[in-house]
Amino acid sequence: MSALGRTLALLAPSRARMAAAVAFGSLALGSAVALTALSAWLISRAAQHPSIVALSLAVVGVRALGISRGTFRYLERLASHDVALRVTARLREQLYVSLAAADRTVVAGLRHGDLLARIGPDGDLVGDVLVRGLLPFAVAAVVCAGAVTLVATLLPLAGVVLAGCLLVAATLSPWLAGVAARRAHRVADETSGLTTALALELLDHATELTVTGQVSQRLQALGRNEIVRSDALDDAARPGAWAAAASSTATGAALVGCLVVGAKAVRAGSLPPVMLAVVVLTPLAMVEVVASLPAAAAAVARASAAAQRLWPLLTAPTTTSRVSASTSVPDDDARLTARGLACGWPGRPPVVSGLDVDVVPGRVLSITGPSGCGKSTLLLTLAGLLPPVAGQVRLGDSALEDLEPHAVRRVVTFTAEDAHLFTTTLRENLLVARGDATDGELESALRQVGLRGWHSGLSLGLDTMLEPGVVSGGERRRLLLARALLVGSRVLLLDEPAEHLDAASADALMAELERLASSTGVAVAVVTHQPHPTSGGTLLLGSAGPEVQVRHSSPAVTGGAAPDPLEVEVGVRQQLNGERSGGRGVQVAAVQVTRSAHGQG
Amino acid sequence: MRPLDPRLVREVRPARRYVLLTGATGSALGALVVVQAYLLADVIATVFSGGDVATRRPQVAALTVCVAARVGLSWVQERYGERAATAVIADLRLRVLAHAVALGPSFLRSAARTEVVTLTTVGLENLRPYLARYLPQLLLAAVVTPALLVVVAVNDPLSAGVIALTLPLVPLFMALVGWMTQTSSARGLVSMQRLGAQVLDLLAGLPTLVALGREHGPAARVRALGQAHRHATNRTLRTAFLSSLVLELLTTLSVALVAVGVGLRLLSGSLDLRTALVVLILAPEVYLPLRQVGTQFHASSDGLAAVDQAFAVLARPLPASGTLPAPDLRTSTVVLDGVAVQHEGRDRLAPDGASLTLRPGTVTALTGPSGCGKTTLAEVVLGLRRPDAGEVDVVDAAGRRTRLVDVDLASWLDQVAWLGQHPTTTPGTVRENVLAFAGPTSDVDLDAAARLSGLADVVAGLPLGWRTQLGAGGAGLSAGQRQRLALTRVLLTDAPLVVLDEPSAHLDAESELVVLDAVRALGRQRRTVLVIAHRPALAALADEVVDLSPVPVGAA
Repeated sequence: MSALGRTLALLAPSRARMAAAVAFGSLALGSAVALTALSAWLISRAAQHPSIVALSLAVVGVRALGISRGTFRYLERLASHDVALRVTARLREQLYVSLAAADRTVVAGLRHGDLLARIGPDGDLVGDVLVRGLLPFAVAAVVCAGAVTLVATLLPLAGVVLAGCLLVAATLSPWLAGVAARRAHRVADETSGLTTALALELLDHATELTVTGQVSQRLQALGRNEIVRSDALDDAARPGAWAAAASSTATGAALVGCLVVGAKAVRAGSLPPVMLAVVVLTPLAMVEVVASLPAAAAAVARASAAAQRLWPLLTAPTTTSRVSASTSVPDDDARLTARGLACGWPGRPPVVSGLDVDVVPGRVLSITGPSGCGKSTLLLTLAGLLPPVAGQVRLGDSALEDLEPHAVRRVVTFTAEDAHLFTTTLRENLLVARGDATDGELESALRQVGLRGWHSGLSLGLDTMLEPGVVSGGERRRLLLARALLVGSRVLLLDEPAEHLDAASADALMAELERLASSTGVAVAVVTHQPHPTSGGTLLLGSAGPEVQVRHSSPAVTGGAAPDPLEVEVGVRQQLNGERSGGRGVQVAAVQVTRSAHGQG
Repeated sequence: MRPLDPRLVREVRPARRYVLLTGATGSALGALVVVQAYLLADVIATVFSGGDVATRRPQVAALTVCVAARVGLSWVQERYGERAATAVIADLRLRVLAHAVALGPSFLRSAARTEVVTLTTVGLENLRPYLARYLPQLLLAAVVTPALLVVVAVNDPLSAGVIALTLPLVPLFMALVGWMTQTSSARGLVSMQRLGAQVLDLLAGLPTLVALGREHGPAARVRALGQAHRHATNRTLRTAFLSSLVLELLTTLSVALVAVGVGLRLLSGSLDLRTALVVLILAPEVYLPLRQVGTQFHASSDGLAAVDQAFAVLARPLPASGTLPAPDLRTSTVVLDGVAVQHEGRDRLAPDGASLTLRPGTVTALTGPSGCGKTTLAEVVLGLRRPDAGEVDVVDAAGRRTRLVDVDLASWLDQVAWLGQHPTTTPGTVRENVLAFAGPTSDVDLDAAARLSGLADVVAGLPLGWRTQLGAGGAGLSAGQRQRLALTRVLLTDAPLVVLDEPSAHLDAESELVVLDAVRALGRQRRTVLVIAHRPALAALADEVVDLSPVPVGAA
């Protein structure tokens, strides 16, 4: 079964509601066909000049059909949209439940690409397929069956002609339209990335391109790309034109066929003359019935693509907690250690390897290195949100993977660089961290991260809605940090808390973290772009050219005491991705400078 | 909003051709509908009154031709509808981008930039359903509906009268219903969108909730929000669908009334069957385009909004370039006097009255807190932004003074080089990327420039050296390495005036070193350098430091 079929089966839209929608839809379109057929009979019968009594019932019928069509159509739209909305709501709920229970790697992987951004539109597409895709087919099937039955009762041969033509119009034409839609979707997918990249390049680098006189060249490149894209799209759209042609051929053939067959039958006496117009004009009314099917097939094709993207999320593997998983997390020792650690995304080469890391209570470890060197991946691994490729992360005496994930979350708090601020009040955003925190605690957390002035400037205070535009980049970072502090866990792993802050504010923030660590004994690891001297040492990741580079950074000492002698641990240096070419490889130097354990400083 | 934006037809050639073609196919289709109705009515009436179908062979043959012609027309319409949509989208995208870039940084660094990005990447795609589906029906409604009405009137004036009376009721009642439900729809729409956004917000925040160990609580909330969203949407739809109910009721009911009227007059003998059949067949066809316009209406609004946005960008006037040739910058001094720039949506000028002098062969550093207008001032020097107050003059060796606004921009830019925070790269080799902006360059010059910029060391560490492929966005090089690449490009030009923007705090430490190297290298070449400095190390290298920090109110 296709992903769309499986998704719909999982969501199980109510059969009764769907049947009601199909019934209303069939009555609406059926009214239109019946209106034509009955009018045709009415006129033919009137031409025979009977008494008006013979026509009165038909007159009433025609008028009633004139009203029923619109009414049933209205009911059908309400019923079908209700089903679609239920399906979409259920899909979103299922997605949430599935992802909430999913393996942490899946959730962490959501950060990559536009998966999250597509959940909304993709969910709508899957819900929409009931209204725009499946419903038109079901309704067409019912109405076609009805029309064929009517015509066949009057004249079996005409019924056969009509049935054959309608079959072509309802299968070949939608099939071709579906092919076109799938192709167009694929081409758009393949080419829109380049178009977007070229467009963004022009806008982002407008100054540089203008100064170097490259604008017209880039526009030409975009123009060439548009030509390639147009040709591909044009090619993809070709079956669509044939779908339209097939549909008009089939309905046209039905019209001419029924006319010829009907006229001969009248001559032969097997069809009353008054019924000829009915046999001929009914096929004419069927044009409208099958006309919606190519668009319906295209809707199915689009929804299939959406379902293919959503299905892996709906059926994401759940956390495989080990049978022996001990739920007890050491109360006293919240030291995070890793030996010989290699980190990376599943199925890809590790980005860092051979690392020794110590996140020590009361100290701040800074992790730094150029963009893309694996800082964030390392932090995710330390948080237990990404399994290590090699080596082990230990919390106190236990390996992280042996601990119950929720127990780990209570001790280790990780804040991603792109962590989410919810579109709700400031209070709710902070309470996400700890539901029972008092306003006083919330305010003190805001004070700690230097947001006191910002907070006191908000007219609604904690009730301020955090809508886009309310919070600047730097404020966002601080809010995320405040949230992490509120959790009150014993290990804090922070990704880029000082980004978007000017140098003085960044220094103040780091000093605050140092103060927090030394006063409360929290173990902190911070990813930074700018190396900061920190009490827990600096872990330097990154490419260091052909030779291994060893850099030492001296930790700042809080409290003004003279620095203790440093014990320099030189971590294992491993080659990046294990690749070598021409005897030279890009290497990772990982040096951790830690203070020897002289107790709390 | 007008259903067909005249600017689209006037200014976009593929759109104009398409409208003409669709008008032609629409008219032909209308003619075929009429011919088909006459032929059908003729054959049916003949056979009905006892005639032999054999005498009507030519009519049946003509009917077959009619069907074949309709098949051909529907193929053409479908084929060229899609093609024209693609062409129009491409045309508008190129024009909007070219215009946006030409408008310069004052436009591109304003809020309008986001709009242009959305428009050129996804927004214009909304034109596809509008052009391929809505517009043909609109043209049919404009051309075929009145033409068919005339044909009906020729056959049976009374039926034509009924149709002519009901036709205007369709838009009237739709507008009336729309007007009556507007307030409740708008309110419903807001709550509907809000509820929908809240569910997606929770889904988007799932990784965060998981990181905080709080992912299980909100599941019930997702369900409740989903239900509330459904109820809100259903409420909105109940009123929103009323307008289409009116449309369907009016059109079908009037067809029914025409049929009954024709039937009764047939009974009284004032009409013959042939005429009655022609009217019966044509009556629904009169309304068909109108009904289609109604059902495709939603496709139209997004597409028209995109057209509107595109022309709003295109309507912004481009800054006029001067005509005087730029003085030789190797010997000329650039003098800025009291330069101030107003920014959209900000009440403070940045810079606010900056004065500085760029003497040939000197290094000038701009310092000051972020937002004080350092980058803006650099853009003024580059000639890409007009100051709202103050003057920029170029004084040549002989002391002749030329205003920068009077200088031909192209001749000015020929003598200027720029190294920004995020240099551009294209997919291709490192070598291609370096030489992309340079004229013919010897390997000796390339090596010399690469040694000076530090790119030589980077290249030596790459697996394929100069032939290493770079991905989109410079993937394969670090930010600092990309800057070295861009610096090599600058060194390869002989632009006498170089403007550098030092990477701000969140880039790597490596990038910082590159700019220091660059300033030293350019200084050795006796070029005039203007550098935006964020850190003291850089300012220390400068011959002159200009602080753009805003003067506190009341201090002066």
